[in-house]
Amino acid sequence: MKANIKFKQKLILSAMTAILVGGLSTLAVAKDFPNKPIQLIVAFGAGGSTDTMARIFAKYAEEELGQRVVVVNRPGAGGELGWVHLANAAPDGYTLGLINSPVVEVYPFTREGSVGYSLDDIRPLANIITDPGVLAVAANSPYQTLESFVTAVQENPRSVVVSHEGIGGDDHLAALNFAKEADIDLNFVSYSGNAEATAALLGGHITAFQGNMSEVVNQINEGKVRGLAVWSNERIDAISQVPTGKEQGYDVLAAASRGFAVPAGVSQPVYDKLLSVTREVVENPEFLAEMAQLNMPVNPIYGQDYVDFIHESHDRLKALWDQEPWIEQ
Amino acid sequence: MDILFTALGNLVTPMALLTLLLGTLAGMAIGSLPGLSSTMGVALCIPITFSMPPDLALILLGAVYVSSVYGGSITAILLRTPGTDASIATALDGYPLAMAGRGGEAIGMATLASLFGGLFSVIVLITIAPPLSTVALAFGPQEYTVLAIFGLVTIVGVASDQPIKGVLSAAIGLILASVGLDAFTGAQRFTFGQRELFDGVPLLPVLIGLFSVSQAFNLCVPKSAGVLSSKRPQLQGRNLPLWSDMKRCLRTLLRSSVIGSVVGILPGAGTSIASFISYNEARRHSNTPEKFGKGELEGVAASESANNAVTGGTLIPTLTLGIPGNAVTAVFIGGLTIHGLIPGPSLFTQHAETTYTLILSLLLANILFAILGLWLCRYLVIVTKVPGAVLGPMILVFSVIGTYALRNEIFDVWLVIAFGVVGYFMERWRYPAAPLVIALILGPILEVNFRRSMQISHWDLTTFFTRPLSLTLCVLVVLALAYPLWNQWRRRNAQQ
Repeated sequence: MKANIKFKQKLILSAMTAILVGGLSTLAVAKDFPNKPIQLIVAFGAGGSTDTMARIFAKYAEEELGQRVVVVNRPGAGGELGWVHLANAAPDGYTLGLINSPVVEVYPFTREGSVGYSLDDIRPLANIITDPGVLAVAANSPYQTLESFVTAVQENPRSVVVSHEGIGGDDHLAALNFAKEADIDLNFVSYSGNAEATAALLGGHITAFQGNMSEVVNQINEGKVRGLAVWSNERIDAISQVPTGKEQGYDVLAAASRGFAVPAGVSQPVYDKLLSVTREVVENPEFLAEMAQLNMPVNPIYGQDYVDFIHESHDRLKALWDQEPWIEQ
Repeated sequence: MDILFTALGNLVTPMALLTLLLGTLAGMAIGSLPGLSSTMGVALCIPITFSMPPDLALILLGAVYVSSVYGGSITAILLRTPGTDASIATALDGYPLAMAGRGGEAIGMATLASLFGGLFSVIVLITIAPPLSTVALAFGPQEYTVLAIFGLVTIVGVASDQPIKGVLSAAIGLILASVGLDAFTGAQRFTFGQRELFDGVPLLPVLIGLFSVSQAFNLCVPKSAGVLSSKRPQLQGRNLPLWSDMKRCLRTLLRSSVIGSVVGILPGAGTSIASFISYNEARRHSNTPEKFGKGELEGVAASESANNAVTGGTLIPTLTLGIPGNAVTAVFIGGLTIHGLIPGPSLFTQHAETTYTLILSLLLANILFAILGLWLCRYLVIVTKVPGAVLGPMILVFSVIGTYALRNEIFDVWLVIAFGVVGYFMERWRYPAAPLVIALILGPILEVNFRRSMQISHWDLTTFFTRPLSLTLCVLVVLALAYPLWNQWRRRNAQQ
């Protein structure tokens, strides 16, 4: 009996030691983390808007982490190359990546069979920017509202040409979503960037431009471009004169979101540490001021909420894709 | 006018001049290294500028930009390794000149031509930027299509010695240009499931492989097997072109500067189109077109004045409309907005002082790189005296590192080496490499804009001839093609 109690005591003691040591060691990992520079993978080229955000974030994160945060550009295949690297990186917290929604969650089904990562390989950390989609026309265009635009398309579908910046990208998806909601067929022209598309719009070569708020805010406020609709829940302060799609009877929500993610295997303490650092940066007024200067709307979504956000968007778009794929198979 | 003087005052401070000098030196180094493009140079400077006052930041960006475009010409002439696609046409005549011992003279001409083109475009930017910015808007997909064809016409001139081999080389370039995800349907074309090829065959690894790496192999192989190493460039001659040569090239310099400034304004065109078209126009107007490609100073002058004239041109839509004229100025816009300067008309009113400081710093950077270039060129030509066994491996190392740095992709390193081997044998079997690269650059511009035109016009091919601007360009293309034939016929008649 006595021996039994002793055994039990020993068992409890050793169990407690194990928990304590184990707990301490994970704590130690998190406390010790980071003890070397952190790599931040950007799946787009140097100088673009994703890259600019990453470099500004890195500057503030370095102050919080006490370590260098090195931005590494791995552009290619519309972001896929960078995300494959992120998914396959060592899950030690020393590799972070920027993911761009909705593109990051559609490749697993639009490029099914060839895609080099799965959403299960990546654990979203925090969303930073949500840049709502905007459908815009030139200031001298006859279309004043979404309604008149839709009527024009219905009457003469051939005369209306709408640009987007890359097939399967967020602009294309937004315009498709709108076309479905309005039950119209749009004649799409693909442009490789905001600059060329804006020039084509101002030059009268295309009828309308589907892009993001940050790309057209200056042109809208200078009166060269008219926003027909912003695809967000509420009006956006920077372009408060532009009504939402919802207000005009078209329930379309679309945006390009940029946030951070880590490889799926990163331990919880390290994940939590990175999350708290991200939160510190995003709540820093100087960081917010720089984002505002660049017209990048900050929309923080942290941790599990962001994971859910990405997965919900995946499921919604997957359902659309199964109904009607937007890329030739 | 007052504003110009205030801006000048901003520039003539020790800090501003030091920034200008550092930016110019950095830009020259970036431009001459294979793989380090102007875009990358400017992008890497942006974080440095975060903590700077706006005028200094813009001076740095401007200086790096204009001098990196010039920097590529030095290695293009001395080593036949153009640092960027802007200098391909420079290498066509610059390297034969260096081989003939006139490297110093060629660099001198390239420097003066760059200065001429750079100054010309900055003056255009100061004087008539706002009205000219409408040119950027007048160009629709139809015009871009014809412009790309205009650029492709250059191949005829470049390949005139080896017409069949040149056409074959260009055809391979066009096939390579079709690789990647289809921009309109998203379908995969010749990618073989290789993710690295989804955006198409990357241009710079091909360019660096065909020109730099093949040259490195050339320098390394024993003389008996080499094509070029049997003939090492001689060191002699002058560092400045003759005044009579300068006078002879004046028309070419002016024409190329106009072409460069106009092409620079177009957001969808690019520096290399300007230098190809200028090169071809110079050849077409020359009394001795057969000398082009074999060491004609005028060819260097055409290419270099055009590519530097692009720099001022690209800033016209950037500053007046907020539409970047190319990738570098897109990065510029980021740099401007970070400092609270919103590109657009307000730059010339509200922030005129800072804007004119930028424009004047471009002017000064042009003068500074010219002084540095002319002073350095007597030392730089010594590079051609370095034995091939030393120079070859060095070029190879820089090419590989530069290529990897483009997007941190090991795939690109294999690509650059593969194209190095291809380039080596193309050279041995006398297949010109330039048509391949020209086709690879212009192919996607041609395809995308042709398809945009068709989408907009609903497959009406007359759309290219019913728009006045597009029709004018079509006429220019026909002239560029027919003129050499007519010239030949006229000369034959004169001989009889």
